[in-house]
Amino acid sequence: MSTATDSVDLVGDEVAVNLVRAALVAALMGAFAFVSFPNPLNPAVPVTAQVLGVFLAGIYLGPAWGGFAMLLYVLAGALGAPVFSGASAGLGEIFGPTGGYLVSYPFAAALIGAVVHGVDGLVDPEGVSFPRLVGAMTAGTVVIYALGIAVYWYYLDTSLVAAIVGAGLAFVPAEAVKMAAAVGIVRSDEVQAT
Amino acid sequence: MLGYEPGDSLAHHLDPRTKLAVQLAFAVAAFAHTDPRGLAVLTGVTALALASARLSPVSVLWGYRFLLPLLAAAVLFELVTLGPPWLDPAAAVDPLLASYRTLLIVGVAAGYVRTTAARESRAAVQWAIPGKPGRLLGAGVGLVFRFLPLLRRDLAAIRDAERARLGDERPTRERLRTVGAAGLRRAFARADRLAMALTARCFSWNATLPRIRLRAVDAPALALAAALLASVFV
Repeated sequence: MSTATDSVDLVGDEVAVNLVRAALVAALMGAFAFVSFPNPLNPAVPVTAQVLGVFLAGIYLGPAWGGFAMLLYVLAGALGAPVFSGASAGLGEIFGPTGGYLVSYPFAAALIGAVVHGVDGLVDPEGVSFPRLVGAMTAGTVVIYALGIAVYWYYLDTSLVAAIVGAGLAFVPAEAVKMAAAVGIVRSDEVQAT
Repeated sequence: MLGYEPGDSLAHHLDPRTKLAVQLAFAVAAFAHTDPRGLAVLTGVTALALASARLSPVSVLWGYRFLLPLLAAAVLFELVTLGPPWLDPAAAVDPLLASYRTLLIVGVAAGYVRTTAARESRAAVQWAIPGKPGRLLGAGVGLVFRFLPLLRRDLAAIRDAERARLGDERPTRERLRTVGAAGLRRAFARADRLAMALTARCFSWNATLPRIRLRAVDAPALALAAALLASVFV
């Protein structure tokens, strides 16, 4: 064990609450990787709730802490917490063909948070209009798939069409289902934002 | 499932920073040399990394099995053409090499995952990113490791309750909504309790972490990392 001689510097209440919330949302996202649901549109590809986690992080934690939560998710996964899809982990995932999706999550969550909450202070998600919520999640989805497909395409040396079909079209329709679920959660009164 | 297990292998004794350096250098070298000769050499390095962690290649493949369809799809898309001659093996060579490269990088990374405890990783993060940002990330990563099993259990309990009430016959959107809302509510409840407990116990920026230091055993591994990096410029 190392010893420190400098005086103790307490973490402020607000930072402590936000840090813990961000870490638990990141862990929840990792837990989501274990649950899959039948895909109503394409039975061959089951739906996991992970992207729902990105939506919820942006909507409930805002741009800064939502992005931070997803950063924690990616970092913890790279360092060995089994949080990536199929309960896998490791730096190899970041350098793998699906690494683009992982790297995009912090940006997507920050963007969703920024569209939902604006730049000055957090608002109650329940009061946010429906078009704004859906617009935010659509923008986030575009970021996720743009990066995801670009990395898959570059990484596996396939043609762009093959990348768009293999890494994008097979999954995008399910995102609409997750958006509907996220709107349902925000409107349901079940989760208190603060 | 691949995860940290305490042990006495060579890789367990390496400094976490050394292991991270080897992984990064390996990934860079693998991208620079995605040709049969380069990948053959790197296969040897991967075998060395797995042996040092006492991991079998089969268990690594099993741990990352969900990657395989994705890699196979990329090869197949290029192999099959819409029209005569129907099969184009030449076009599939590049995706095939790239897929194999993925497996090698994942294999080396699996050695780290198996042999490095969360608090060592946390110490490495705080060494790499000095100051409060690093401490914030380090504390957050520690919490993710700690709370992942609890939240997984929460979700499993929610799903059990759903199944008992025939909730699994509902449409997927409904199920995602109920599981998502209940999961988030529980996570936030845990977070608020934990934050209050941390503050009450003087949660500070200067937490005590295990001391990480380079030892003689790290020298060959660091030399390997340097050689991998140097190979990029050859």
